[in-house]
This record gives sequence, C-alpha cells and structure tokens, in this order.
Amino acid sequence: MIQAKNIDFYYDDFHALKGISMEMAANTVTAFIGPSGCGKSTFLRLFNRMNDLIPGTRLTGECLVEEKDIYTRGVNVDELRKQVGMVFQKPNPFPKSIFENVAYGLRVNGVDDRKFIEQRVKESLVGAALWDEVKDKLKKSAFELSGGQQQRLCIARALAIKPSVLLMDEPASALDPISTSKIEELIHELKKEYTIVIVTHNMQQAARVSDKTGFFMLGELVEFSDTKKMFLNPDKEQTQNYITGRFG
Amino acid sequence: MLTLSGAVTTVTILLIVVFLFREGLGLFRSPAVEKGYALCVNAANPVVRLNPGQIKQIFDYEIVNWTELGGTDRAIELFRFDDIFSRYSEEELGAENDYDQLPDKLGEVVAASPGIIAFLPEEYLPHHLEGIRILRNEHITAGDFFGGREWIPTATPAPQYGTLPLLLGTLWVSIVAILIALPLGLSVAIYLSELANERTRKLLKPAIELLAGIPSVVYGFFGLVVLVPLVQKAFGLPVGETGFTGSVILAIMALPTIITVAEDAMRNTPRAMREASLALGATHWQTIYKVIVPYAKSGISAAVVLGIGRAIGETMAVLMVTGNAAVIPKTLFAPLRTIPATIAAELGEAPSGGAHYQALFMLGCILFLITLVINITAEAISKRQHNKGL
Repeated sequence: MIQAKNIDFYYDDFHALKGISMEMAANTVTAFIGPSGCGKSTFLRLFNRMNDLIPGTRLTGECLVEEKDIYTRGVNVDELRKQVGMVFQKPNPFPKSIFENVAYGLRVNGVDDRKFIEQRVKESLVGAALWDEVKDKLKKSAFELSGGQQQRLCIARALAIKPSVLLMDEPASALDPISTSKIEELIHELKKEYTIVIVTHNMQQAARVSDKTGFFMLGELVEFSDTKKMFLNPDKEQTQNYITGRFG
Repeated sequence: MLTLSGAVTTVTILLIVVFLFREGLGLFRSPAVEKGYALCVNAANPVVRLNPGQIKQIFDYEIVNWTELGGTDRAIELFRFDDIFSRYSEEELGAENDYDQLPDKLGEVVAASPGIIAFLPEEYLPHHLEGIRILRNEHITAGDFFGGREWIPTATPAPQYGTLPLLLGTLWVSIVAILIALPLGLSVAIYLSELANERTRKLLKPAIELLAGIPSVVYGFFGLVVLVPLVQKAFGLPVGETGFTGSVILAIMALPTIITVAEDAMRNTPRAMREASLALGATHWQTIYKVIVPYAKSGISAAVVLGIGRAIGETMAVLMVTGNAAVIPKTLFAPLRTIPATIAAELGEAPSGGAHYQALFMLGCILFLITLVINITAEAISKRQHNKGL
C-alpha cells in the first residue's frame, strides 16, 4: 500500500506537484495519465526517491510505503529501492549478459549463493514471460535482445529482488504493439503479487491494465477514481476533454 | 577537398615511416669495425669471425685467451697501429719515403706472433699476406643490435649498438610510470565525475587540462630541481637522477591525459544506466564499480593507451632526470636511459649516414613499432568489448 499526503514538489523555483494526496492499495494497478509535463512521472519517481538524484529539488508532505514515511531522517534509500522496484521508459539493460542483468540486484545485495541466484534468475525470467525466449542464451549480451525483450528483461531484473511495489514509467512507450500487448498481459499477471503503479501516455492502455486511474494536469491531481468510471463517466469536464482527445 | 587532405596526410605519414625504416635498416649493411680500419690475425689462428661484442671485450682485456673464442689455447696479444713505432725506428719504417716500409713491417709483426690481433688502418695493410689473415669485416647483425647488452657508439675498434639497455630502460620507466599514474588517474577521474560537486568539478577540470599543456622541458626542470633531490634524500641514494625519478615525472605528465579521457568516458555513461542500478538498491559505490566503470571501459583503455604513449615517447623530461647511463638497469633506483632520450642526446653528434646515425634511426623504428603494437592492442580490446556489449 502506498499513500501520498499533501505532496508539494519543486524543481528549484518550479512548482511541479501541487497538494497531491492519494492512496494505492496493495495488489492493484494504478495508472497515471495526463499531458506531458503534468508531473505524473515526477510523482511516480517520488516513491523510490529517484528524484533525489536531481539537484535542487524540494518536497513537502508525506510519502508512505507500507505505512512508513520514506522521506524521514534515517531511511535507508538503498533498502527502500529494494522494496520499490522500477521499470523505465526506455529499456536500459546493463552491458552484461542476460543472466548477469537479472542477477545484478541480488549480487549488489550481497547474495553469492550460486544455486539460489540461478533459481531466482529463472523465476524472475519466467515471471517476466521471457524465460522461454532466452533460456538457451543466458550467457549472451543483453543487447542482442529486441527492444520488447529488453524491456521484459528489465522487468525480470526488477522482480529478482522481490519488491512489494513496482513502479513503471511508460514501460511500453518505446515498443511495438505486439511487445506492448505482452507487457500488458504481464502487468495483469504481476498484479497478483505486486502493487503496481504505471505512468502511461496511452489512454487505451490505462483503460486495459489499471484498476484505478489518476488524471494529472499542470501538477495537480484533477481526478482519481476507478478506471471504469473514469473512462465512462468522469466527474470533471477537464478529464472528459482529455480522455475524448479534445486536447492534450 | 577532404579526400585530398586525407590522402596528403596518409602519404606524408607513409613517407615518414618509409624514410625511418630505410635509414634505420641501413645499419645492418654497416661494418662492425670502424670504417677504414681492419683487424689482422696470424694465419695460424683458426678464428675467422668476431662479433662487435667480442671485439670490444678483446680490446678491453676481458677476453684474454683465444680458447674463449673457439681458437687454440694461446694468450691474446693486442696490437694497435701506434705500437709499431715503439718496435721500429722512423728510418726503418721509411719515414722519408712516406712510410713505404710500414705495411711490410706490420705484416712481419703479425706473422711473427701467433696470438696477435692487430687493429690497423686499411691504407697501411700489409701487401704480402703470407703468415697473416685479415678478418672479414662483418656487417652489424640484428642479433648484435637487438641482443647486444651494451650501447657505446664511440667504442673503438668496434662501436657497440646493443639496444637492450635502452629498451629495458624505456620499458621500466614507462611501466612504473603507468603503475603510478593509472590508479591515481582513475581515482581522480571517478572523484571528478561521480563524487565532486559541480563547483569543484568546474574548478578542477580546466586546471587539470591546463597541466597537459605545459611544455615537457618545464616538467623536466621541475623534476631536476624538486624531484631529483627529493628522491635522493628519501631513498638515501648517491644520486637522485634515477629511473624512478623519471617514472614519477612521467606519471605526473601522463595524469592529465588519463584523468581527462577517463572522466569524459565515465560521464558519458547514460543516466538510464545509473538509474537502473540505483533503482535496484545498489549503493552509489556499487553503481560506480559495477556499472559506470565497466561501461566506460573502452574510454578508460583509451586513456591508458594515451598515457602509455605519452610515457614511452616522452623525451625531454626523462632525459633531464634519469641520469642518462646506458646500462641495463638492475634496479629502478639507479641512472638509466630511454630510447627517446638517446635519440635526442646523440643525433646531433652522429655523423649523417654513418652507422651511429643509422642505429639511432633504428631506435626510432623500435619506438614506432612499440606504439603501433600498443595502439592495435587497444583498438582490438575496445572493438571486442563494443561488439559483445559485455
């Protein structure tokens, strides 16, 4: 479960997120939609503190993951990121073998039991629906895979450390329709074990994969409700306009 | 236009290489004994050929018996041209008649003594060859050049062109320099690209780049004034001009290149790569050595090659601080001499076209080949990594 309470976020002087509060329940898929620059990715990246890497940012409000405030003093960011996995917009495998890509998260956490790593790598690749395609070439470079396969490899890599939350930042935007549908199927499967938050530009995708949807505009959360309701009968006119494609 | 300039550059470089090798390879057609002179032995002496090293040892009294050279058991008797004047008077040699008796008298001396070896000018060689034999003046061989343990271009009767001391000197100094510069340079590069804040970086980077532009003779001067006394005191040595001093100065000179190139390579690691690693719970340090450094590997190996290239080819600074002793270095804390330093120091004194001159060109060829091999290796390494993406 993830909670945000009165989040305000600034890049230097730019007020990027304005008073956002929402709750994402365990084992659900929450989608964030909205025009470019509306703050949805910034909001997503709050939950594994990825925004810390950008100098000059400031945050007020509370961010809770499993009921713990992740921005209080004494929070171990590395530990947090083990709990909250992330998949990025563009596939970004390491320049290592397929096996080592998935094993990376385990190795940096000090796991060196070879049997255990092999087992977990296999589980993760199966979980990411990639095992059958790569089981004979685990030693090959990850760069030899197609874009869609690379993205599923990145998902497997995130799964290998068994996070409880999976953040996905437009995971299918760089992929072709077939790879996209594979990723979407995968999200359905993963929902059983993970709390998933996905940012997407593709409204059909949001409608297909998510249970709840949040619509962001200019740093504000305009509307947040069940996906079905959002797409059939939104409360706000702005949402209606965006969904029907009248702007954005 | 661009094709033309490319062609001109290529042709120029090829011409330089051809010129270098043509001059250099001439060495192996040069006689081992000084030009205009010859060595004579008694006809009964079974030894027919001597290499430059053996000749030098004979005239240095290091070889004193013909058995050491595969001959019969007989003491070697040295005879230099001037010795003839102590055996015969001026009249006997025909001083009034342009020394017309001199060749015959020389012949008599050599024929009379079975253990003799005489070093004579060609114009006074005996006319009658009874009882004497003139040793064939062999060419300097590749074995003499590459395997020779002494570099004494001024030795008589046979100059010594053994490159081993120079080659070893170059390798020692360069390798130690790289061993010093590489860890240091990489640490600074990692600090600059990953740990330093923007202000420090903006201050340090140009300063370091500026260091690369300082003329090497200034580094040499610094080495001579500061490093040499420092090394002498720190290690309690009789002289501070040692191979180690050269390594330190070279390391200092190679550092800016290594730092700049390696830092650029590491900063070019895509942000996505860093974020992927951090998002998996890796610490900053784990990200540096497991993702960023491997990703920048080809850039880092380029930095290494440029550093080595600078070290091997560097002339002036090394010339000034290594003490210039062309001996095979037994320890790094003794004077030695490198190939570039030798070329710079001796080319001015070597008569153009002579064996010494050609030997120096041959040294240039060796230097060229070493850098070529290093470059090809580096190219191969970075290409392999690039192709495999590993």
